[in-house]
Amino acid sequence: MTQTLEAPKTKIPPSTHPLAEIIHRLEAGGTMLPDTPENLMQIIGLYKAYAVPMDFYWRDLLYIAEQVFLNPLPWNKYLISDEYLDRENKYSGDNADLRIWRGCGDAHPELREFMAQGELKKDLPTILHHLWHDRINMEFAEECMRSMLWHRDMYKPWNQFDGFLDTDEYKQNCDRAINAYFKGNPVMLGLYKLFPDMFYEQCRQMSYYSNLGLFWEVMAPVFFEMSDLYDEGKMTSVPAAMDFLVNGIFAIAGRPIYHHVYIKGECFEIIPKSKGFTWLYEAALPYVEAVFYRTAPFRGTKSYNAQAGQVPDAQPDFHYGVLYADKFPVGTAGIPPTFLAQDMLHFLPDYLVEYYKQHCRGEGDTIVQLAVSFQRSMYCVTSAVIQALRAALLYPLDDEDPDHLMANRQFFEAQMDRFLRPEARIRDIQNQEYR
Amino acid sequence: MILSALILVPLLGSLIVGFYPGVISLALSRSITIGFASISLLLTIATGVMFDLSHIGLQMQEFLPWLPDLGLNYSLAIDGLSFPLVALTNLLTVLLAFNSSVGLKPGEDLKRPRLFYSLLLLVNSGVIGAFLAQNLMLFFLFYEVELIPFYLLIVIWGSAKREYAATKFLIYTALSGVLILAAFLAMNWLTGAASFEYGAIDTTDLSRNTQLVLLALLLVGFGIKTPLVPLHSWLPDAYVESSAPVSIMLGGILSKLGTYGIIRFAVGLFPETWVSVAPVMATIAAITVIYGSFCAIAQTDMKRMVAYSSIGHMGYIILGTAALTPLSMIGVISQMVAHGLILALLFYLIGMIESKVGTRELELLNGLLNPIRGLPMISALLILGAMASAGIPGMVGFVAEFMVFQGSFAAFPVQTLITILGTALTAVYFVILLNQTCFGKLDTKSSYYAPVARWEYMPAFILTAVIIFLGIQPSWLVRWSQVTSDAIAFVM
Amino acid sequence: MPNIVEIAVSDDRFSTLVTAVQVAGLVEALQSPGPFTVFAPLNSAFEKLPPGTITSLVQNPPQLGRILTYHVVSGKYTKADLEKLSEVTSLEGTTIRLNFKKNEVKNATAVLTDIEATNGIIHVIDNVILMGP
Repeated sequence: MTQTLEAPKTKIPPSTHPLAEIIHRLEAGGTMLPDTPENLMQIIGLYKAYAVPMDFYWRDLLYIAEQVFLNPLPWNKYLISDEYLDRENKYSGDNADLRIWRGCGDAHPELREFMAQGELKKDLPTILHHLWHDRINMEFAEECMRSMLWHRDMYKPWNQFDGFLDTDEYKQNCDRAINAYFKGNPVMLGLYKLFPDMFYEQCRQMSYYSNLGLFWEVMAPVFFEMSDLYDEGKMTSVPAAMDFLVNGIFAIAGRPIYHHVYIKGECFEIIPKSKGFTWLYEAALPYVEAVFYRTAPFRGTKSYNAQAGQVPDAQPDFHYGVLYADKFPVGTAGIPPTFLAQDMLHFLPDYLVEYYKQHCRGEGDTIVQLAVSFQRSMYCVTSAVIQALRAALLYPLDDEDPDHLMANRQFFEAQMDRFLRPEARIRDIQNQEYR
Repeated sequence: MILSALILVPLLGSLIVGFYPGVISLALSRSITIGFASISLLLTIATGVMFDLSHIGLQMQEFLPWLPDLGLNYSLAIDGLSFPLVALTNLLTVLLAFNSSVGLKPGEDLKRPRLFYSLLLLVNSGVIGAFLAQNLMLFFLFYEVELIPFYLLIVIWGSAKREYAATKFLIYTALSGVLILAAFLAMNWLTGAASFEYGAIDTTDLSRNTQLVLLALLLVGFGIKTPLVPLHSWLPDAYVESSAPVSIMLGGILSKLGTYGIIRFAVGLFPETWVSVAPVMATIAAITVIYGSFCAIAQTDMKRMVAYSSIGHMGYIILGTAALTPLSMIGVISQMVAHGLILALLFYLIGMIESKVGTRELELLNGLLNPIRGLPMISALLILGAMASAGIPGMVGFVAEFMVFQGSFAAFPVQTLITILGTALTAVYFVILLNQTCFGKLDTKSSYYAPVARWEYMPAFILTAVIIFLGIQPSWLVRWSQVTSDAIAFVM
Repeated sequence: MPNIVEIAVSDDRFSTLVTAVQVAGLVEALQSPGPFTVFAPLNSAFEKLPPGTITSLVQNPPQLGRILTYHVVSGKYTKADLEKLSEVTSLEGTTIRLNFKKNEVKNATAVLTDIEATNGIIHVIDNVILMGP
């Protein structure tokens, strides 16, 4: 099954890059992740396990962005309204704009079951599940959102969302919404008069809630569909999975990214759809950059000393994302991916539950094993992004012109340069025994 | 009869496991050993119930003429000095029988289990005999009985340099035996005692110089076993090259014979001379503590570090014995028990780490507190054990050390202060050890450790429970020895 | 002489482009005096995009408009002008990489150049170009 690792039969000499093997694989239409049935099983299983909590993430993110908005004490922001659970996904269900997943448009049945019973498998009031932390961990989703907010000027100038947040137009839109939201609340309005920028910054954060919610609204059905195709035996290789993702990226590239707030039933368009912000440029690419590559060092098992240069000076050099992350501390307090891993643990397909039982500590460390599989699956997603960018901006892999092939080569090499730092897990995932 | 039973039960078990003609599986020999060791432990509890706390001197005496012409009689008794040590020995034996595979590399099985279990019980029987014997020759017999079993335990189940370590152990210990035998024989001849009975020896009539020579022989003899600096060099090798259960026996059980011998025979039979050499002994004790601690700081192997720390901790015992006040003597007896428990716990945990990770090197270990992939409970207990060893209040080590220091300060303030400095150094090397092993990040390349089974925790839990219980409720520890230690201190 | 829109409408090879421009509401703008330089993708260029791309763009005119304005440059640049430039700034706001000596506009090839219109000039390309470096 493994793909040919020799240089493809092209008119350009083999790459001399340290990761040449992977570059040649990409040039042959493959992924950074080796094409093995075991890898395919792991990544598809994880897409499914990821998609169910993601179905909650995007709903709650939009719920917070559109309904909770600037509530100074948002204790109930994770207690999503039924309206948002029933909200039709624009990309699945019968009323979809573009039906990617064949299934339902409202909340996934497994999600509803978990929300009702939780890990305890008991029908308790939602508030008790919530307080017992037996719920979907929105903290992870918010961590991703904050990461995007914090690494703001990514993909400039192609990403225009971010620049817009600093314009007067944006502030005027916010101003209307803030005045409406805090109408009859002199304390908050007084604070707003005193510290307007603080309120704008909160609005920017809310806009990123919306941004990420709209981004994940698309990804959940994509992953569900991939899982269904795999279960039917129609998705048989890692490159096929990547191609599905590439096509998905193109299909929904033009999905609008916006931020609407609903205050007492009235819609305030803080970022109107007419700004022309798109899913690909304003959400997907910044998301990949912020969450897959950069994020921020975790408070937790390791302390970083910025003065000693243990944290890079420049934000683009940050390398704490899923592609670099040490997955072994998952399960430790203060490690945000623990929240995600815990969420995915509840929705693993049976074949992965069995698979993890056979390795390492079995049930004892399934949470770490699945986190490593998740890392593999995100290398596949990143491969899809790289291939999509290559297709959008450069040349076909079978182009006849050596100059074009060389341009592709340079693009791939530039991408691989980011994985040369020792923290990158790209070499680990080449080995099936990394788990 | 109960004291004889304490010796004979493990001996019988040893013979059955070792010489039963049929096939005995590993599991069965383990069960038999646990059975006999448990009976011994129950007998110990029964002894404790029968023990008269207010009785000064020896009790439950058993006497049987054996070779009266040679002055050798079968004479047993127990007092507040020996009972805690008997209890410690039997507790550790049960725990070791329960998990003898601790310290084996991943995937290894215990080699020659029948011989191992047989020797374990034999050693137990011999040590108990030595603690109970009230005839000098009988004591010597039991004392020497350990020699060959321990040699075999080191040389068969040890690691790479085991033959070197075992031979060194054999030579040192044999020398120790010869010196003690010489002292015992000389005492008998010079005093003209009718037998080797402990009570029959009276050295008060001997000249001062003769007493000094005899005392010196005993001190060197038992000092090797303890060990005292500079007689210690067999210990790190023997502890480190032994498998984990054997090093627990060496450190938890056998080393107590040395201090027991010093208190029982050196102090007990030459009280006045002891008082005159006490300042020297206190100084040696202080040197032992400081030397052991500094050596421990320099180590890169966890087990070697703890072995040197053990040398340091034996120094407290000698210091307290040199001071010979009632309080310091209670401290000394408590410290013997505390040291046995804590060292056993530390060696057990280090053995578990070696079993799972495959190394004891500080450089290679990292992040063992990792909750999913590491050894979190083992690490947590290791932290607790290190705290106990460093004398953190609430655990038995503090109680013992505090009494030793409190009792010794008036007699030897300088030496005591130096020794207290040594306790501070304990914290230094344990922080190094914990920081290197438990904290930090697990290495993703190699950290695929097998999980620790629940039953493997049991010995560590029990030891921890005892350490904490006796730390919070020290009266359960000191009640046995209060009267006896008063009596020993009163001798002067 | 016809304007840019009239040229596009009159040629069947631009029918997709014309529909797209109409949906995005850019007809009026492209009829204005300009002048503009338009890189006009052929129908075959749109067909190269993966399925669904056009559907979702057509559902969202502002987003479609943004892609289309990326194909328009303010000012009138003939082939000869473009050969001297390595990039031009589109109406979308970001730049378009050029290698016009090889008739290349980003990863597209100009198959037909210098179609004059009253309010600008059209170069026909064989790929839809997308924003990016």
